[in-house]
Amino acid sequence: MDEAARARLADWLTAAAGAPVEIASMALLSGGAVQQNWAMDVSRGGAPERWVLRTDNAAVLAVSLPRTAEFALLRAAFGAGVTVPEPLFCCDAREVTGAPFFVMRRAEGVARGHVLVRQAAASGGDPALAAALGRELAAIHSIRPPRDDLAMLAPPPDDPARDFVVKQRAALDAAGTPRPVLEWGLRHLERGSPPPGDVVLNHNDFRTGNYMVHEGRVTAVLDWEFAAWGDPHADLGWLCAPCWRFGGAHEAGGIGPRSALYEAYEAASGRRVDPGRVHWWELAATIRWAVIAADQAERHLSGRENNLELALTGHIVPELEMDVLRMTGALDA
Amino acid sequence: MLERPDAAGLLETARDVLLRELLPHLPESKRFEARMVANAMAIARRGMAADAAPALARLRALLDAPHAEPDALLNLLAAEIRSGERDPGTPGHAAAAKALVELTRLRCSISNPRALGGSR
Repeated sequence: MDEAARARLADWLTAAAGAPVEIASMALLSGGAVQQNWAMDVSRGGAPERWVLRTDNAAVLAVSLPRTAEFALLRAAFGAGVTVPEPLFCCDAREVTGAPFFVMRRAEGVARGHVLVRQAAASGGDPALAAALGRELAAIHSIRPPRDDLAMLAPPPDDPARDFVVKQRAALDAAGTPRPVLEWGLRHLERGSPPPGDVVLNHNDFRTGNYMVHEGRVTAVLDWEFAAWGDPHADLGWLCAPCWRFGGAHEAGGIGPRSALYEAYEAASGRRVDPGRVHWWELAATIRWAVIAADQAERHLSGRENNLELALTGHIVPELEMDVLRMTGALDA
Repeated sequence: MLERPDAAGLLETARDVLLRELLPHLPESKRFEARMVANAMAIARRGMAADAAPALARLRALLDAPHAEPDALLNLLAAEIRSGERDPGTPGHAAAAKALVELTRLRCSISNPRALGGSR
């Protein structure tokens, strides 16, 4: 971001905040193919504050909805008591910095999955953190349709389980690579799909690695770009799926026992956890991640993006398929 | 006939140099990429050593398609599974499970052998 853009940004923020905003420093935190996160130290009306500015890369200028959608989701989550960085301002115009952006407060903590799982394992598991994750999910799931502020989300599915199977098959067909093990898993899901129940807001990527922890407490739930209406057990299954335990022994995200997660979730949400449904969504999570991983490798293989990380992501698929075979009982057939 | 060390041997040695001699001198910000390169080299080396013939032979026998190419076999099996022809209770269920397990073990032995740990 050049000097002129920074000056325009400070002016825009001053107008949005209704108080003079001066930018003391800006540093790029992480640059992905799609998004950029900037750490900003500012003063607002003379008082220092720490913010994050999240924006799209210039390359994907055409998509302006995702940033505004993410901002709306953060606002809804913040309002529901989810631990998220407080969303402050959103700008859907490109004239200020070159791309739409939003600004939120900056949370402190560690997000890296391997680090958090290693820390939890060192004390034989961290039931308190697992319980805290259950309370975060309960708060997210207190957001229910219809919501005018979340009108950009696809309408709630009538039957989330069947909808999942249909969509994953469509994704496999579109990708064009035959994957009989994933078909095996999807057919297993289809035979045992649970009937429709409550429909709530799902974060849809709520797993270790996507929340921040500081001194044993959750300080931020991150990465809301996959949020959608669905079965509340889907988020529990995604968190508990073997592929998101980072090698840890503890079933709730590699962090702590499932019981701590479930009990805290039930106490905070007033909703009973159906362990069978969670297991259904755990297998679904494994398949969904495999389909995404295969798609990322395809981005590399197609020549669109020559990228080693994408290429290696494809090599995660076999271990996910092994999980699918284990979870469907194929190893004992 | 061909000069030694062979491709797999060279990859192994080069990977050793990367991990032992180069990685410690790289700045923290580049170590993730260096580890990815090492991982890619390990996958490539294991891929060279892998023998797909037994898993393919089992698939051909399962599907009664003795001359089919790998992609055709996978397409056929995927379609049968989706349509329910390999469901539990069907005569071909256990044989399909065994073929899938063998194929997946082979794929894991290349991509991530650690995944074979808990699968007997």
